Amino acid sequence: MKIKQWLGAGLLFAASALQVAQAASEVLVSTDWLERNLGQDKLRIIEVSVNPGQYERGHIPGAVNFEWHRDLVDPVRRDIAAQEDFQKLLRNAGISSDTTVILYGDTNNWFAAWGAWVFDVYGVSNVKLLDGGRAKWEAEGRPLSSRQIAHQPGDITLAGRNEALRARFQDVVTVAEGSTQTKLVDIRSPDEFNGRIFAPPGVQELAVRAGHIPGAVNVPWGEAVAADGTFKSADELRKVYAAVGIDGSQPVITYCRIGERSSHTWFALSKILGYEVRNYDGSWTEYGNAVGVPVVNVAGTVWGGK
Amino acid sequence: MNQTDWSERPAWSAVLVAMLLVVGLLVWAWYLATPTPAGRTLSFSLLSGAAFGLLLQRSRFCFFCITRDYVERRDPRGLLGLLTALAVGTLGYHAVFGVFLPDPYGGRLPPDAHIGPVSAILAFAALMFGLGMSLSGSCISAHLYRLGEGAFGSVFALLGVVPGFVLGFISWNSLYLQDIEAAPSLWLPASLGYGGSLLVQLLALAAIAWGILKFARTQQPESDVGVGVRIWRRRWPPYVGGILIGGLAVICYLRVAPLGVTAELGSLSRTAANALGLLPDRLLGLDSFSGCATVVKQAVLSNNGVFVLGLILASWASALIAGDWQPTWPRPAQMLRNFCGGVLMGLGAMLALGCTVGTLLSGVMAGALSGWVFALFCLAGVLFGLVVRRPLGWL
Repeated sequence: MKIKQWLGAGLLFAASALQVAQAASEVLVSTDWLERNLGQDKLRIIEVSVNPGQYERGHIPGAVNFEWHRDLVDPVRRDIAAQEDFQKLLRNAGISSDTTVILYGDTNNWFAAWGAWVFDVYGVSNVKLLDGGRAKWEAEGRPLSSRQIAHQPGDITLAGRNEALRARFQDVVTVAEGSTQTKLVDIRSPDEFNGRIFAPPGVQELAVRAGHIPGAVNVPWGEAVAADGTFKSADELRKVYAAVGIDGSQPVITYCRIGERSSHTWFALSKILGYEVRNYDGSWTEYGNAVGVPVVNVAGTVWGGK
Repeated sequence: MNQTDWSERPAWSAVLVAMLLVVGLLVWAWYLATPTPAGRTLSFSLLSGAAFGLLLQRSRFCFFCITRDYVERRDPRGLLGLLTALAVGTLGYHAVFGVFLPDPYGGRLPPDAHIGPVSAILAFAALMFGLGMSLSGSCISAHLYRLGEGAFGSVFALLGVVPGFVLGFISWNSLYLQDIEAAPSLWLPASLGYGGSLLVQLLALAAIAWGILKFARTQQPESDVGVGVRIWRRRWPPYVGGILIGGLAVICYLRVAPLGVTAELGSLSRTAANALGLLPDRLLGLDSFSGCATVVKQAVLSNNGVFVLGLILASWASALIAGDWQPTWPRPAQMLRNFCGGVLMGLGAMLALGCTVGTLLSGVMAGALSGWVFALFCLAGVLFGLVVRRPLGWL
């Protein structure tokens, strides 16, 4: 164990020049870069994890916790957080207009990527993801702290929502009906896409119809991820999506079940490849429950009220 | 259990089996500790369960027995040990809370802490649990550690817990809508702050200790024996067990989850009842509460599962060395009583989201009003049981 770790550290050190080059990415930082830049003044680290109690027991030193189901959404109506609330949240986390924000989380950065999308909708610049997320940081034995630091409040002012990053129900319907030239990417599992199941196991929020939006291609979110949980390289990503006809020549809409895992693919397509991409946060729980819209159900599963 | 007729040295065969158990536990912990967060947590849970089992066995930390000792013999030591555990745990929990949730007024609850809804259902559940303790002669945690002492009667109580849980699950949805959904999860620091909550809890515990001592009878001091005998063969002074259990509770909360022994039993019951089609499709709101959470099992090994197994195995090893390993087989009437008591305890633990460990110990330490309410009504159930025990021939 120890020897392996030392060897690993040595390799990392030897490769550090390379790492810095990689870390210079506009949208991703490596675990190694982050560990070496933890003390930086203009850097704020935000954890957005799905599982509660994880941040509190140990997080990347200095990180602030955002709870996705309280902080990043409107808790009453289905929407992202209101501008005023989100601005207050960011200021309390010590974020100013010149701050670089690094987001990370558990389960392959799903909710961190969703957070990055919310940040982007509100026009916050200099927001990056920790490539590989919490899992990679832990797997590499990097330090965690349970101490919560109260940062000096920041002074960021949000301009308003950039609705161009967000696909709404009507936008998707026009794509489904063929009146708009836009590519739809469904990032759910093939079983959900083909209508064999209504929702993944253990999930209660159902749509009363199974299947997918007409014209959508199925690229499960995991296709964008390498074995160590990091994003695949831009070249590899380009190939993965080109194989299903998504090459950036047409605008793209990503969706999943509730719009959060699709943010992961939104991040890959929009931030890493630079395509024009909107995330449909209504996703299948909105579309699959809507009355009178076209649906493709390959498996033909009939909803029986259960 | 018999404290007079032991020889001061354990039989070599007992020591050998105990050593095998200890080595087995260590090897298993080593095997579980894969270099992943899940592996580390499982291994830690096994070892902390073993520590809990050792502490329960060595200090005879049985909620029912210590209450009975006081009621029938005015022996305050066990109850004072419990209060010690609560005081130490309260101190530690509040220190941890200061890290987990620096601002207690923000309308959030600390993650995973056993802070349950306070409702009439909680009072009813605690009462049923207390009755079940009296009927079966122990609470669930004590039945578990007594398994390690060879009390096979406890098997029947634990078997009864399963249908008790199922009864609870079946009645859950209607009780949830009737009462639990609107019930507040009251957490003292949310209104008093950490300092205020700490002060109130410690004063309350001190007042209870004073009340207990006021009616206590002076106990015979232990005869003078060597340190080794006192550690390995005699029951530990209850305050020693109390301090250590309070400390262990804090460490467990810090690392994995609050102490609790019913989550795995409940999960097994839920999985079985689910497979048999006994449960409604949804148990409303149940999975959103903190407490001894019961989930339909996905993996064979859970943190709480290995915790409970560690508890039993370590208690067995400890009982072997202490000379408390005295296999007893219950009479049919006792089997039936244990089973029925188990059903009541299962029902109570399900509806209260935990037992004397998960809701009482871990709740009170966390400053949860639900913990105090459980303690009060559970005590009422035990006292009622003690009153009717003799006339009904439960002894």
